[in-house]
Amino acid sequence: MLKSKLLFLTLILGTLSFTAFSFEKTVENSVQTLLSNNKTELDSVVNFLVETKTPHTYALIGAILEKRLYVKGTKAYTLFPGIKSYYEVYPEFKEAGNDVVGIVPLKLSRKYILKFRPLSKYTQLYTPVAQSKLNAYQRFKQSGTLEDVAFLTEQLKTESDEKVKTAGYEAIYTIWLLSGDEQLEMNALAKLGEGASDQMLDPLEQYLKKKENAPQDQSYILASELISDIQAHERFINTAQNLFSGISLGSILLLVALGLGIIYGLAGVINMSHGEFLMIGAYTTYVIQQCFIAYLPASWFEGYFWVSLPLSFITAGLIGLLIERLIIRHLYNKPLESLLGTWGLSLIMIQICRSIFGDITAVKSPELLSGGIEVMDGLILPFNRLFIIGLTVFMGVLTYIVFFKSRLGVKIRAVTQNRNMSACLGISTKRIDAMTFFLGSGLAGIAGCAMTLIGNVVPNMGKTYIVDSFLIVVVGGVGKLVGIIASAMGVGVLSKIFESFYEAVYGKVIMLAIIIFFLQFKPKGLFPDKGRLSEE
Amino acid sequence: MLSVKNLSVAFGGVQALKLDQFDLKENELRVVIGPNGAGKSTFMDIICGKTKPDEGSILFKGEELIGMSEVKITEMGVGRKFQKPTVFTGLSVFDNMLLGLKVKKDIISTFFYKTKKEHLEKIHEIALKVGLQDDLDKIAGSLSHGKKQWLEIAIVLLQDPELMLIDEPAAGMSDSEAEKTGNLLCELSNSHSVIVIEHDMKFVEQIAIDQVSVLVRGSILTQGTFQEVKNDQQVIDCYLGAPDSAQTQRSA
Amino acid sequence: MPLGNLLGFVETNTMTLWGRYFCFAIAAIGIDLIWGYTGVLSMTQAFFFCLGAYGIGMYMTLSNLPEGHQLPAFMEWNQVTELPTFWAPFSSFPLAFILSLLVPALFSLIFGFFVFRSRIQGVYFAIITQALALAMFLLFSRNETMLGGTNGLTDFKYLLGFDLRETSTKLGLYFISFIVLCLIYIYSSFLTKSKFGKGLVAIRDSESRMRFTGYGVSAYKITIFMIGSVIAAIGGMLYLPQTGIITPGRMDVQASIEMIVWVALGGRGNLKGAVLGAIVVNLLYSIFTSILPGGWLYVLGGLFVITVLYLDKGMIGLFQQIQAYIKTFFASDKNNKEAENEVINVSA
Repeated sequence: MLKSKLLFLTLILGTLSFTAFSFEKTVENSVQTLLSNNKTELDSVVNFLVETKTPHTYALIGAILEKRLYVKGTKAYTLFPGIKSYYEVYPEFKEAGNDVVGIVPLKLSRKYILKFRPLSKYTQLYTPVAQSKLNAYQRFKQSGTLEDVAFLTEQLKTESDEKVKTAGYEAIYTIWLLSGDEQLEMNALAKLGEGASDQMLDPLEQYLKKKENAPQDQSYILASELISDIQAHERFINTAQNLFSGISLGSILLLVALGLGIIYGLAGVINMSHGEFLMIGAYTTYVIQQCFIAYLPASWFEGYFWVSLPLSFITAGLIGLLIERLIIRHLYNKPLESLLGTWGLSLIMIQICRSIFGDITAVKSPELLSGGIEVMDGLILPFNRLFIIGLTVFMGVLTYIVFFKSRLGVKIRAVTQNRNMSACLGISTKRIDAMTFFLGSGLAGIAGCAMTLIGNVVPNMGKTYIVDSFLIVVVGGVGKLVGIIASAMGVGVLSKIFESFYEAVYGKVIMLAIIIFFLQFKPKGLFPDKGRLSEE
Repeated sequence: MLSVKNLSVAFGGVQALKLDQFDLKENELRVVIGPNGAGKSTFMDIICGKTKPDEGSILFKGEELIGMSEVKITEMGVGRKFQKPTVFTGLSVFDNMLLGLKVKKDIISTFFYKTKKEHLEKIHEIALKVGLQDDLDKIAGSLSHGKKQWLEIAIVLLQDPELMLIDEPAAGMSDSEAEKTGNLLCELSNSHSVIVIEHDMKFVEQIAIDQVSVLVRGSILTQGTFQEVKNDQQVIDCYLGAPDSAQTQRSA
Repeated sequence: MPLGNLLGFVETNTMTLWGRYFCFAIAAIGIDLIWGYTGVLSMTQAFFFCLGAYGIGMYMTLSNLPEGHQLPAFMEWNQVTELPTFWAPFSSFPLAFILSLLVPALFSLIFGFFVFRSRIQGVYFAIITQALALAMFLLFSRNETMLGGTNGLTDFKYLLGFDLRETSTKLGLYFISFIVLCLIYIYSSFLTKSKFGKGLVAIRDSESRMRFTGYGVSAYKITIFMIGSVIAAIGGMLYLPQTGIITPGRMDVQASIEMIVWVALGGRGNLKGAVLGAIVVNLLYSIFTSILPGGWLYVLGGLFVITVLYLDKGMIGLFQQIQAYIKTFFASDKNNKEAENEVINVSA
């Protein structure tokens, strides 16, 4: 009974609206006709909506173009990719919650969608995703006309996101700038003078090209000034970015070089296999991750990294200890022989690793360390690199404390200076050697664990860093913590800066030339020993 | 012959040497004594160009040595024997001496060097002088410690130096060897100026035919004949450690 | 062996292989002069070896251009329209020949000047040269340097009109390599016996004593570094026509260190040792890569370790030891026999 009554009512209402529409073609009516999917009137309704260009309907049209239109009575809804919640697109554009009961998808045929297509540049502004909205505004820089300015201004009034706002206003200024109207051009230049993002570089250059014939014009001068401002800002961002990645590269190098330098100072051993402890650290991390995936609940996965950090230190340290006892201890104070022997060791270690793990493996970074912080416009510092820097600072301070504030450190320094005398004083040099190798190799292991955050895990990953690390030890001065820190940062930052100017390869060549040049004046590194200690 | 003025050098804030005046006459044998770390070897290092001083001047035959390269100083006629005997361990004693021989030592000359009769004679003469005449074919590395000391002296001698800087020649020698060395040094001082650093007082007594300088904490404490120095109260305090000076040293 | 080849006993491939070993042995002699005698561990000798090979390679590339082509194929792929200036002299053989020797000589002179002048020695020198090897490897691997990038120079058919595939050419190259090896060996042994050579050993034993004896040590080091580098380049020049390919892979850090191990294994400070080491290691390489491809790196690594741990004087030193041992063994054997006889006599 009730059902038939409802049906009746709908029929009457439908007829009523139909009759109303046939008398007066309003936007409201047209939309309702569209939503009711009245096939006979659809043609004229769509044409009407396209012609009238009503901002009120853009969200709805956007939904149609995206083929994600849902209808419930007189209201229309849509879903955006990647967002769970429904959005009402008509009569208002707003969020509508995860569950909207009783909606029906509505599909228009292709020919209508094509008709709406020209409006897409407007409809794309109706999205909750800031980045998409920003992109939509950016598009107005090419496709926008003076007619759009009013619409854009209206839209921007309610915009809250600063970046989107900037993009929107810059779109307007671009339209003015390229409009050919001198007054508007000057307006745009004045507004841009208050601050222009690097996105304005293209439009400004376009403008200069247009004005090529009148380089003495004030507007021309203004625009070129703006361009150089933006370029200066860009350069600044680049430099900052290079500096940052230089420091993070320097950090990894530092962790490797610290161990190298300490071991060389203590035992007179050039440990070419030191890079392989970095590899061991990385593979330890990989294995632990695999274990977490295989044996522990998925929710624990994030924890793998925090377990790996100490374990990679210990694993690398223990293997370092083993190799010291088996082979390296026979090579004390024979730097050149140890160089060859440990190179051979590294070949074996790499080959073992390759036969177990294959050529390439990747470790998935923990969620916590993905992403980054935007320090300023265009300058993003990724968390993983920040973490590496932090870790290095932490390990550096720890090494410093162990070295200069602990009994072990005193003993290590004593053995470094005079092995025989220390042995006479009752220091067990064997134990000190073992501890030092453990610490040094462990540092490299931690570096390896950190490396998994920024790169793949490959068997010969240690080789990439070993030569640079040795250069750092040479520049910093053997066995000098401060020197090694200074030169690691120097080499890291300089090589990144050169890489940005030239190719990475030329950067390396220049770096080497600089180091050789540097050694002309300071052949024993930044902080050489003086007096008797300096004798061969 | 040699005149040193206001020489000073510091290593990492520690004043290693601060000499106001040091003069050496021709054919004089000067013995420099002093406790460990007094700056004796550093003094020699500076004269022969191994260490660069912070300031000061060293005139040798009227020419300033500071700033000259080691090779240039050696060519000027300064010969240096190190504290630890340093010889070319992989070469025969003869070859060691051949390399010491005073001939042109640039690459081209060395490349086309042909042994001459007078060179051989010279080598044999010196070998006889230092007592190595029977060891010429031995590998230098196989020599005893004392013979290595002599070989090094021989290498220096073959350069025909005018000034010889000899650092602890008797260290590690038996009494008879030391005595032989002492005689050699005394003989050398007839035709060379010699500075000897030495610890062993018995040996010093033997060779101190001229003046003895006492170097303490980088400065000349006193200078005189062996007897004068031996009886100097300051020197005795310094060596035996007088109670008050030991305290001042500790508090310093 | 060439006789065997003519008679059909020895395969031509084996001959070419040995020809190559001779080239390596030449480079090894250079290393022995620098390291074994003078005590300067240069880890960039493979680079000089390659400079020689590239020099001849550039000549062969230009003289082997296919019909109608003005540029080597790799340049055409990189949209290069004109031959780079530094390639131009390599179209003439005499110029290419001279440059192949002159470039490594000049390079080592300039590099040596700066490095030895500032008294960079021992480990420091090793590390700097290692970095140089790495930098040069990266530089040669680039396409922009116009040296064929990672693929290097290859695809040669003729050298001075001789067909490289012909057995007679291969035989000729084998002979030339052998003769050059002998000449360099003789020259080097003359050098090491001269006063200059003794000066080198003296520098190895005590650099400061040498300096205070009045020798300009740096100049000596630069000279021997240059000689060693040119010798390496000669090896490279002979190597290329016999392999037909040169890539930057031949000059990476690993390659240089491997060359050092030849000398260390053979016996440094001994020219025979250098030659022996180069040949033995490469022979082992050929054998192992054919029967157990994955195992070679283990063997090589093991060789490194064993050499530094147990073979201080290399194989030559080992032979001498064994010789001495056998002598004493036979001597004691005699004694034992006599003793046994006595025992028998007594029991009888």
